[in-house]
Amino acid sequence: MSERSSASGIPLRPCYGPADTAGLDLEERLGEPGRYPFTRGVRAADDRRAGWIQRELSGEGDPRRSNAQLHMLLAKGQTGLDVIGDTPTVACMDPDHPFARHAIGTQGVSLCCLPDYLELYRDLPLDRITLSHSLPPLFTVAALHCVARQRGISPAALRGSVVQAPYYCEDTGYALQLPFELRERMSVDSIEFAAAEMPRFHAFLEDTYYISDGGLDAVEEMALGFVEIRGLVRRLLERGLPVDRFAPRIAILVNCRMDFFEEIAKIRATRRLFARMMREEFGARDPRSLAVNVAAHTSGMSLTAQQPVNNVVRGTVQALALVLAGVQAIEISAFDEAYRTPSPQAHEVALRTQQVIHLESNVTQVADPLGGSYFVEWLTDEMERRIETRLREIEARGEPAALAESGYFRRIFQDAMERHARALSSGELVRVGVNRFRVPESEDALLREVAESKIEPYHLRVEEIRRHREARDAARLRARLSALRERAVDRTANLTPAVIEAFEAGATVGEMTGVLRMAHGQPADPFGRLADPL
Amino acid sequence: MRPIRVLIGMLGMDQHEVGAVAVARALRDAGMEVIYLGRFNLPADVARAALDEGVDVVGLSCHSWEYLHYLDELLALLRVEGAAVPVVLGGSVITAEDARSVTAKGVAATFGPGAELAEVVSTVERIARAARAA
Repeated sequence: MSERSSASGIPLRPCYGPADTAGLDLEERLGEPGRYPFTRGVRAADDRRAGWIQRELSGEGDPRRSNAQLHMLLAKGQTGLDVIGDTPTVACMDPDHPFARHAIGTQGVSLCCLPDYLELYRDLPLDRITLSHSLPPLFTVAALHCVARQRGISPAALRGSVVQAPYYCEDTGYALQLPFELRERMSVDSIEFAAAEMPRFHAFLEDTYYISDGGLDAVEEMALGFVEIRGLVRRLLERGLPVDRFAPRIAILVNCRMDFFEEIAKIRATRRLFARMMREEFGARDPRSLAVNVAAHTSGMSLTAQQPVNNVVRGTVQALALVLAGVQAIEISAFDEAYRTPSPQAHEVALRTQQVIHLESNVTQVADPLGGSYFVEWLTDEMERRIETRLREIEARGEPAALAESGYFRRIFQDAMERHARALSSGELVRVGVNRFRVPESEDALLREVAESKIEPYHLRVEEIRRHREARDAARLRARLSALRERAVDRTANLTPAVIEAFEAGATVGEMTGVLRMAHGQPADPFGRLADPL
Repeated sequence: MRPIRVLIGMLGMDQHEVGAVAVARALRDAGMEVIYLGRFNLPADVARAALDEGVDVVGLSCHSWEYLHYLDELLALLRVEGAAVPVVLGGSVITAEDARSVTAKGVAATFGPGAELAEVVSTVERIARAARAA
């Protein structure tokens, strides 16, 4: 590594000037805000929607407690909702699974059946706010479709998103324990279904945040993200879906670490690369298919357990980078991130940070304020080139299914984790309060009590779900689960309508996932602790 | 003398492996044998593997609070005929208060968010040697 370099190892010089951008046709490479290739943003400079959706990661305990949390955040001025499930929910396991017990509701909301989703969104204006979800996509799309209809709202009016990361989830701490083919199909089915039934909803939200927050650098993050976007686009095209039918609702949820200009350049490069790829490789013509919405979470991994108040500053710096890059939605990882999902106090600070940047700093008056900077344009170009080189290199190695199978992706993630740990331990990666300017534990008190307060697991959910199971019409449930299995055995059918029907008969996500595993020749419970649901 | 054997694993749904992988590698680099049990274990799974493999130390990576609820059961299962396989815990979620309470229950050492890898390695080595001598 050179004396000066970006976080992903791009050598830097002390100063940049006209010679650094002389070789770039800036008119062609930048365009105008809202015009191809969208380097300067997806919206025209005078677009009245300028600004971004301000939201914070939410969900804790049971659906009722989370519903109260969502109401509270909207009352404080949040402009969209962003829900994450607890670890069993995200892994498609019901709360009464023997492994789930002590994780119920502690790192997100526990959701496993339709009444849970109805309770989560009770009395919330579903047709007037955007609903973002870090939850399993097939079940989320199906459940939202049911909730909207039961509330008398057209599913077509729903806006928001659900994350997709089918290629990498097994290797990045969000294991579903599903075969690759099934994971990919659950993604493609949910995207195809939403394109027809929920056309304003971004069911295709490529999530590069969570794959990268184990230590990937910004180039690896976007290269792997593009590998997945391109893989899913190809599968959708193979189904005969015209590209302009689904591409307008592709969005990317990116990470934002501490390297201010590299993250800005990454986002500008991502928009340009996406636009060119969709037009030239996939034949998209609708301008909305070429303009990719970018949402972002600030990096949880950049935050520290030491001196939690420093994390407020980190979140501010990262959010400012995102605003200058022109993203459509921001979630600031809260100051207590090292310990827990956000406390009410941390939620408030993170939301207020966004509001201060938005309303007091005046940085939102001008679109792409960094456009034309010698350094930023040079770095944007450099990032684009490196991301594209890396993604072509990965694609040249084989199909994603084969690469996942062979452990190729897992090695990338493991190497990144080890590299990160070594850099932190050697001091090459500086963290104030960790490897520089440490303070004794006895003096590290500010905000500590808030950061360390725990959420108790919701053990009551176990009984609640058991009662839900007993109250169902067993014959109807069995018929719907059998129908889902038949759909799953027929590899050409879309699973979403059968999931909706099973939800409406009281099926749980754990049961449906078990049935899908069985249809793919696997045991229903990968842990070997539960009986088959059929 | 045969090398020190350490089991590294995680409990319940806790699956952020960054710390576990880094520690496993550091212990191997220091010449120890690491049985990497990885994610998704209940206390009985950890105890069975630890006793079958005859490890000197059990190391658990803790990135969720689940470990606090599983600890009593695990410590009881690791206590065989008066001797117990020592348990060390490491992870960003372990607060000073948690460290005090689990140490009182019999955990041999804890490593919070500020721990250096070198400190983890030397502590595991010291605990393993003491356990063999006992």
